[in-house]
Amino acid sequence: MTLQQQIRANRRRSALVVSLFALLVVAVGAAAWYGLGQGIGVFVLAVGIAYGVFALLNARGMVGSLTKARPVTKADDPELYRLVENVAIAAGLPATPSIRLVEDPAPNAFATGLRPQSSFVAVTTGLRELMPPRELEAVIAHEIAHVRNRDTRLMTLAAVLVGVVALISDLAFRAAFFGGGRRSGGPAAIAAVIALVLAPIAAVLLQLALSRRREFLADASAAAILNDPEAMALALRRLELDTREIAYGDR
Amino acid sequence: MIWLIVVLAVLAVLALTAILLYNRLVRLRNEAETGWANIDVQLKRRADLIPNLVEAVKGYAAHERGVFDEVTRARAAVQRAGTPAAAAAAGGILDAALGRLFAVAEAYPELRASENFSLLQTELSDTEDKIAAARRYYNATVLAFNTQIQTFPSVLVSRPFGFRERELFETAGEAREPVAVGFGRT
Repeated sequence: MTLQQQIRANRRRSALVVSLFALLVVAVGAAAWYGLGQGIGVFVLAVGIAYGVFALLNARGMVGSLTKARPVTKADDPELYRLVENVAIAAGLPATPSIRLVEDPAPNAFATGLRPQSSFVAVTTGLRELMPPRELEAVIAHEIAHVRNRDTRLMTLAAVLVGVVALISDLAFRAAFFGGGRRSGGPAAIAAVIALVLAPIAAVLLQLALSRRREFLADASAAAILNDPEAMALALRRLELDTREIAYGDR
Repeated sequence: MIWLIVVLAVLAVLALTAILLYNRLVRLRNEAETGWANIDVQLKRRADLIPNLVEAVKGYAAHERGVFDEVTRARAAVQRAGTPAAAAAAGGILDAALGRLFAVAEAYPELRASENFSLLQTELSDTEDKIAAARRYYNATVLAFNTQIQTFPSVLVSRPFGFRERELFETAGEAREPVAVGFGRT
């Protein structure tokens, strides 16, 4: 498969996974509705959706403040800034993502943002010090590839939907526990309870299914963007040799 | 009656396929045009830097008129170039001229030590890197566009509608210099 075909296949899979997530949210909502009555069902769904919208709109800021990433300007670190600028040009992004530095000795990098124009790429101080420019460029190309392939958007979406599903079933259980709803019993109520228990687990499994292939695709894209597969290989090799603890997951 | 419906259905499918192929061709052509615009931005930026660079060297080595003229002419040639191939060829001559300009600058330690000159030098090499980056993107988009134009079945759409292959932007010194390979930590 060529890179373009892989990206297309990746997009199809993403669409499938997102529709499965949507189904899951509907199923959880229906279970809450059925098990607890219309009023609580609607309330729980509304809170879940409101939370989802809020989290999506604030995802970028939340990731930024959770990791204590501070913005880097051209004056702070011209070399890093130029690397990101050049990789963004080579990847054909419409704008250069902003750059953040995370105070952390473990070498790591991540990218986030719903659109390329509003994305940022973050590297840890450990990575900045460990990598020579050529390999740092390869790591940045990997993160920029996530932005270009829209992996950042999909993973943000997945994380938010996992949160929504978990929140809805949690609220539904609390409502049931504190005496709301019809105490009708019967197979339908049991089915509703089972659905509410299983939904958050299914959501996390779906999220995990998404991430692995994307990493390989991003590595391949990065090598193609730079036209320098060796730099990518050297960077991966160096990361493998480095045994310091990784504090943040790669998103 | 049944034959009429079959014929109409086949025609409808063919028309729909042609529309989809046409739209894909337009999208790829626009991507290639954006890619060229990105290169153009960086070529302009380099062209803007060069007069300052020449002035900086002139301040120390006013008698090296030949080199200054050469650089100025090569810069003008790049700006005049209309096609990617012409721009690439003119760019090669400009690179050679700039090489001679820097060789002249080597002889003047005070010039090399001046902040203005080293800033211009950094900016220039940064711009060269960006031209190379924009070139990689442009060439990738052109490759995708040309392949789409030439392959069946989109060739049936591309020819009648006048889609023409685009030139790649290839510099003269395409061969990469050898790189040091090492697996140890540096």
